[in-house]
Amino acid sequence: MPQFSADPAPDQHSSPLRVGIVGTGGISRAHAPGWVEAGAELHCHSVAGAEEFAAQFGARVHADLGSLLAAVDVVDVCTPTPEHGAIVHAALDAGLDVVCEKPLALTAEEADDLVAHAERAGRRLLPAHVVRYFPQYAAAKRAIDAGEIGEIAVLRFERTGSFPRQPWFGDESLSGGIVMDQMIHDIDQALWMAGPAVAVHARQHTAAATDEVRTAHVVLTHASGAISHCRGLWGAPGTAFRYTFDLAGSGGCLRYDSAGDSGITFDAVAAARQASGDGFLPEVTTFPSPYAEEILDFVAALSSGGAARVDGADGAEAVRVAGAALQSLRTGRSIAC
Amino acid sequence: MLTPTPLRVALMSCAHTHAAGYAALLEARADVDLVVADPDGFGNVSARSLVGSYEEAWDRWADGPEAIVVTSANAHHRDLVLEAARRGVHVLCEKPLATTVADAEEMVAACRDAGVVLMTAFPVHFSPAVAALRTAAADGTLGEVIGLTGTNNGKLPAGRDWFSDPELAGGGALVDHTVHLAQILDSLLGEPETVHAVTNRILWKDRAGDAETGGLVTLTYPGGLVATIDCSWSQPADAPTWGGLTLQAVGTGGQLQIDAFAPHVGGPGRWLPYGTDLDAALLEAFLGAVRAGEAVEPTGEVGLRTTRVVAAAQESVRTGQPVPLASL
Repeated sequence: MPQFSADPAPDQHSSPLRVGIVGTGGISRAHAPGWVEAGAELHCHSVAGAEEFAAQFGARVHADLGSLLAAVDVVDVCTPTPEHGAIVHAALDAGLDVVCEKPLALTAEEADDLVAHAERAGRRLLPAHVVRYFPQYAAAKRAIDAGEIGEIAVLRFERTGSFPRQPWFGDESLSGGIVMDQMIHDIDQALWMAGPAVAVHARQHTAAATDEVRTAHVVLTHASGAISHCRGLWGAPGTAFRYTFDLAGSGGCLRYDSAGDSGITFDAVAAARQASGDGFLPEVTTFPSPYAEEILDFVAALSSGGAARVDGADGAEAVRVAGAALQSLRTGRSIAC
Repeated sequence: MLTPTPLRVALMSCAHTHAAGYAALLEARADVDLVVADPDGFGNVSARSLVGSYEEAWDRWADGPEAIVVTSANAHHRDLVLEAARRGVHVLCEKPLATTVADAEEMVAACRDAGVVLMTAFPVHFSPAVAALRTAAADGTLGEVIGLTGTNNGKLPAGRDWFSDPELAGGGALVDHTVHLAQILDSLLGEPETVHAVTNRILWKDRAGDAETGGLVTLTYPGGLVATIDCSWSQPADAPTWGGLTLQAVGTGGQLQIDAFAPHVGGPGRWLPYGTDLDAALLEAFLGAVRAGEAVEPTGEVGLRTTRVVAAAQESVRTGQPVPLASL
């Protein structure tokens, strides 16, 4: 299984885990601190921005993918989605374990193919479904599994953000659109919490005035009988990132709203001073970085050969259900899955 | 100021949980002379004039009542409303207007032909929060609205088993809790083009019998705007309040989220509501309409249109597919 002895402490004697980040855009900057915290030796390769990434995180730049694959133990695929497949296959062919940003692929067939390849190669394929590492969702999942809200019945998820800055996200042929790129997080949550889906119905609407404001509603029927609603939104410019869930079971409800009380509230006077730089108020968050938690969990799984909180099959299943939602959008029908 | 001659009003049946509240509000008004009929003997509605049959209520005055408020089990709305129309009596009917589209159409037609007011009891129509949403949508604050998500979650009504008897209620949560939001959406957007719904029977399994207790209804409007309603009876039994109604609208001009029952003083396990009395506003509008002889919103027609949405939702549950409203 693992071909290295991963050791999260950088100051010990065993050689550090060698990680090759492919694609040094936005999401690589979220993954990198976790790898640094794990004591990994970083390598990178990218069509753009590799030098800047390398300077920021102390990585060695490779001019081509082959050079990177020859130098690392694990590849972390952070490219736009259409490039995932070729890089994952190449990394598996090179005998490497792979972390891959979500969605694994744009189609279920392609995602299944990646998972099958990893199995054949005896390598790990870990999809970066980071929401499983957000403590709010993790706490809800633990409570559901412990039976604290009885049998889960009706789940609602919302995810809201501005239109992505990189234009390829807006091209549905490249990103899969709001359902495959953004909502897949909540589809994964629904499947994680309520089990496999048997039917999917989806609707999406884009503003007539601007194609940068879009919303999607997806309803899943789970094999258990539970039903889930996922609502995605790319909102007007300036829209704050927000995520919520509302989970109803036969024994109680669980709710979370990221726009709720974070425990740190500046009044209007202090907030204005913070914005103008008149006062020094440090930026703080109230929970550990889910991205770091995710990478550390992956490092532990690779090191031990044990399970990670999310595996390749989960990633492929999320793509399959999101793909069924896209089929529902195309046909106007509810899709069995 | 002169008090007008009191209107003769009969509250027909105490089956609905709203009957007690309506009776108390009507009884407190100087401009209403009230009789309450409790033919099922629920016994929890107090009124100076309380009778044990509909006949006694119709006969309470020599000239009969001028208006009735129908708070029977849903399946019995039709007969009471048709009888009122036959007698030339104005009607405020509890929601849903009827358990079938055919019944609702017949009721609306009968009242129209008789020239009597028919209104449907959607108290949330009078919520200041809902008014704020209608204004923000109409005046362009939200820009082009592209989607809405509504929730009307509550407990399974206690002490009124008919709510979960599909024969008497017409269904379960899908029937009980889709229509309030469907009415608000109707006032914003008109009628939807297609309706998709899924339901289940996981919540309140021991008490709810054959009625669905969880449901998600997705409405698609001409042009593609999408709205989803969570109509589930998902408020836990031990929650400090009955439930609530929220609606979030998103558009090119931003988002607005309303919570019609948010105004309250809270504390662990405490919920002291202080907002506008929506039932009182509804009754005020109805009594004004009766005096004017002309219905105001929410009318019987919106009662019919929301009944059609529920029927389409039920058909979608049966077929597993979205149902065009025009196919009903």
